[in-house]
Amino acid sequence: MLLKKLFRTLWQYKAQFISMVIMIALGIGVFLGFNIEWYSLDVSTREIYDATGFADYRIFSDRGFTPEDLDRIRSVTGVDDATRYLSINTAVQGDTDVIALTVSTNMNVSGILLMDGAPYDETDPEGIWLSDSYAAANGKKIGDPLTLSYQTISVKGTVRGLIKSSEYLICVPDETQMMPDYTSYGYAYISPAMLDAAIPDMYRLFLGSSLYHQINVKSALEKSDFVEKADQALGTTRLILSRDETISWAETQGEIEEGQTMGSILPVLFLAIAILTMVTTMHRITASEKTQIGTLKALGFKDRRILRHYSCYALIIGLLGSALGIAIGYGLGRFILSPDGAMATYIDLPAWPLYAPAFTWIVIILINVFLTLIGCLSVRRMLAGTAADALRPYVPSRVRHLRMEESRRFKKLSFSTKWNLRDLLRHKSRSFMTLFGVIGCMVLLVGGLGMKNTMDAFLDIFYGKAIHYQYRVNLDTGSVTNEAAFRLADELDGDWCAQRAVQIGDKGYGLEIYSVTRDKVRFVDPNLNLVSLKDDGAYVCTRIARTWNLKEGDSLSFAPYDSDEHYTVRVAGILSSMTESVIMTSAAADRAGIPYTVSVIYTDQPDIPSGAHVLNTQSKKSIMDSFNTFMDLMNKMIWLLVIAAVVLGIVVLYNLGVMSYTERYREMATLKVIGFRDARIGRLLITQNLWLTFLGVLLGLPAGIGVLQYLLTALASEYELKLVLGPATYLISILLTFGVSLCVGLMISRKNSSIDMVAALKTEE
Amino acid sequence: MAIVEFRDVSRVYRNGEHEQRALDHVNLSLEEGQFIVVLGPSGAGKSTLLNMLGGLDSPTEGTILVNGKDISTLSADELAEYRAASVGFVFQSYNLIPTLTVIENVALVKEIAPNPLSSHDMLRAVGLEDHIHQFPAELSGGEQQRVSIARALAKNPHILLCDEPTGALDSETGVLVLRLLLSMARDMGKTIIIVTHNQNIARMADMVIRVKSGRIQSCEKQEHPLAVEEVDW
Repeated sequence: MLLKKLFRTLWQYKAQFISMVIMIALGIGVFLGFNIEWYSLDVSTREIYDATGFADYRIFSDRGFTPEDLDRIRSVTGVDDATRYLSINTAVQGDTDVIALTVSTNMNVSGILLMDGAPYDETDPEGIWLSDSYAAANGKKIGDPLTLSYQTISVKGTVRGLIKSSEYLICVPDETQMMPDYTSYGYAYISPAMLDAAIPDMYRLFLGSSLYHQINVKSALEKSDFVEKADQALGTTRLILSRDETISWAETQGEIEEGQTMGSILPVLFLAIAILTMVTTMHRITASEKTQIGTLKALGFKDRRILRHYSCYALIIGLLGSALGIAIGYGLGRFILSPDGAMATYIDLPAWPLYAPAFTWIVIILINVFLTLIGCLSVRRMLAGTAADALRPYVPSRVRHLRMEESRRFKKLSFSTKWNLRDLLRHKSRSFMTLFGVIGCMVLLVGGLGMKNTMDAFLDIFYGKAIHYQYRVNLDTGSVTNEAAFRLADELDGDWCAQRAVQIGDKGYGLEIYSVTRDKVRFVDPNLNLVSLKDDGAYVCTRIARTWNLKEGDSLSFAPYDSDEHYTVRVAGILSSMTESVIMTSAAADRAGIPYTVSVIYTDQPDIPSGAHVLNTQSKKSIMDSFNTFMDLMNKMIWLLVIAAVVLGIVVLYNLGVMSYTERYREMATLKVIGFRDARIGRLLITQNLWLTFLGVLLGLPAGIGVLQYLLTALASEYELKLVLGPATYLISILLTFGVSLCVGLMISRKNSSIDMVAALKTEE
Repeated sequence: MAIVEFRDVSRVYRNGEHEQRALDHVNLSLEEGQFIVVLGPSGAGKSTLLNMLGGLDSPTEGTILVNGKDISTLSADELAEYRAASVGFVFQSYNLIPTLTVIENVALVKEIAPNPLSSHDMLRAVGLEDHIHQFPAELSGGEQQRVSIARALAKNPHILLCDEPTGALDSETGVLVLRLLLSMARDMGKTIIIVTHNQNIARMADMVIRVKSGRIQSCEKQEHPLAVEEVDW
């Protein structure tokens, strides 16, 4: 019989129950979704790292490594395996595409994962194993011929297999390109035998067997330990990058950490609101059920049975919310992680299985236990004392005199102001919850829209203004001389840059030396203003400045790799940069005596002379095109956040609004009897909502900015983002929040017309 | 002159198949300035009669004229206007707004009534001038009922409708409240209609209406109603 009562009561309080289920579902959904996202990414990336032997360290040398060098590294204690490795950007013949041609002498390290076609054969003189994503984007199939050229060398072969490789998990030519664009850039592996066959005899005489500019190593040694041992084994200091310093590892770890951050902030917000609303709702429901609870007690039902019965309401809400939340969580996970999903446009994984970390299930169980406990405690309060005590209707807290009531100004306030003010203070938990809901709504809106503003400003300044060229011409630093590069720069009416790898402490960074006389490259300060470089020192990006606690005027020491020299320069300023670099003018570099070779020319001229020194050309358009995918992804996420904010606002405000309406039903019936019109009573209700919304907006705005700043700080290792909020964000966030509040208020106030004055006033107070 | 006229008024409540006739072809005429008591057992239809007159409910059939104006066909907003201007209510359970003080509860009607009286005067009239800044919960039941009467009177209505106004009060406080209501009729010329099942109250009335099963059983005028003190409580 009690079961029938259970379902009928659920139906009676359906608005509250449904909104609670939605709140719990949203909380659990967001919690599970983001945790599934980072955890699945973590598991899947580890799987491909293991399957393809992702290297722990990369040792670089412009002069290349011989088989003897490899043996020396292999013999280092603590090194598990190693390979000589080559990755060079080559042009696809008959196309403008660029493919990173890759050779690994030992495919156990930095190898491949076959997706389709013939397995890798190290003796195959013509076999090309091509990135399956590049093949899909360009209509390449197994068996297709492919010719890749590098300077005067051509590698002609046939596509034998389609592959993935963890070395190219995020397949971008360099850090300036944010998103992969497989229509124009991919990678391919060939065998060392094929590479050997492709090298003309003359080159072979010149290069010997030192074509491989990298040794990739699997080792569990600490970096400092490894660097010391590797340098000792090779007899010289080399640029050694750990996997943390590679784009693939750093960016995927960044995504994982981002997911962890999102998986901790947003769910806390949703779950906190859900649980606090649950406390308020369960208290109100059990309060209005008090006489029924008393009746059951008076009839002889044991307290334990009544507790169990009413706790079931909370448990049912929890279970339904959890079931729906789990579905939402997996849906959100699938939305982000799927072959057609958002993340697949960024990270090139072979499969997208979803895994939920074990702790999420424990948390979901604990949430259900906690919700049931909330229900149990709410009923216990109503059950306290004798059966006669329990039978008495619940009496809300008494209205207390406020200190401000003494003031003249208060006395002059209108009836509705006094009524609402005292009601807010009388029902503090309900008021607080409404406020919390509005703040949550605001935080999501400001966070979501603010993130878009911030990214827009970031893209606008870096790619709209700082990149003031149309083409970026990459030169072959192995063959080009500075004189030839200067001539080419003049010919192309361009500016130039020399890039080197340097070490500050034990960390590797880029050193970029610029000569900007034709305004093709511009620089951005941390406040996103364009600045000109001065010749009195070096600039560091904000990430370097933060890591090494540098400020303008400090001294900075760095050592270029492949050199025993150390250079100390004054920090001329801090810049915001896409790459983690030290930046200086050529004049400053000359003054400091830093040698360099020009590696890039920036120009507007489309006709780039093909010469021995030109490696390849990247157009600004191709870089910008890759952002469209990124911005699509960003826009989808923002839409999700805006929808979540609106749902959160509606659910919380409606639930608490209905509660407020129910609690004040009798008062409103009285007003109606006295002669107040429905519209007037409706305005009373809406006014209270609007007050709380106003306060919620005031508090939610800085809270949203704070959360956004926290997110940007969490992303700081990937991007140098500066928080930017446009007027439209303020306007949309405020208007949408007020809009939601007003709509919910109107929905509730419409109920006024159906107030049964007679029945309401007959009820005992 | 008749201030209230019920012409063949019926009120039928339908609940699915079930039909309940709360008022059944009631005809009634009430004079201005009288103290009228409606008597009847529970479920007789006396509260329905009061609710119809107060504009809280509308008849299924028939016409109700108040001061010559038909209120049975008014819209929700017109009924609200009617309640604001013409009738005052006093309930058994007081129905005060708990978040407003005594004076604010009474002054509330200024927001809607076209000719409100002074809230202070009304509270003085019910003997509560010393409690004006207290909240209802800080008052006794009798005091709360007196606030409710002051609020009803502050609208300056023609008719005061009281549904079991002493039902929740002890007899001593009940007498106090009845004396107050009687003086409203005698001194202020208000038409007071009290619904009760307390036979003793009827002895004070100018007119006693007995209701049974939704019909008017009798409608007696009393030439010599007793004073409150003369009634044996």
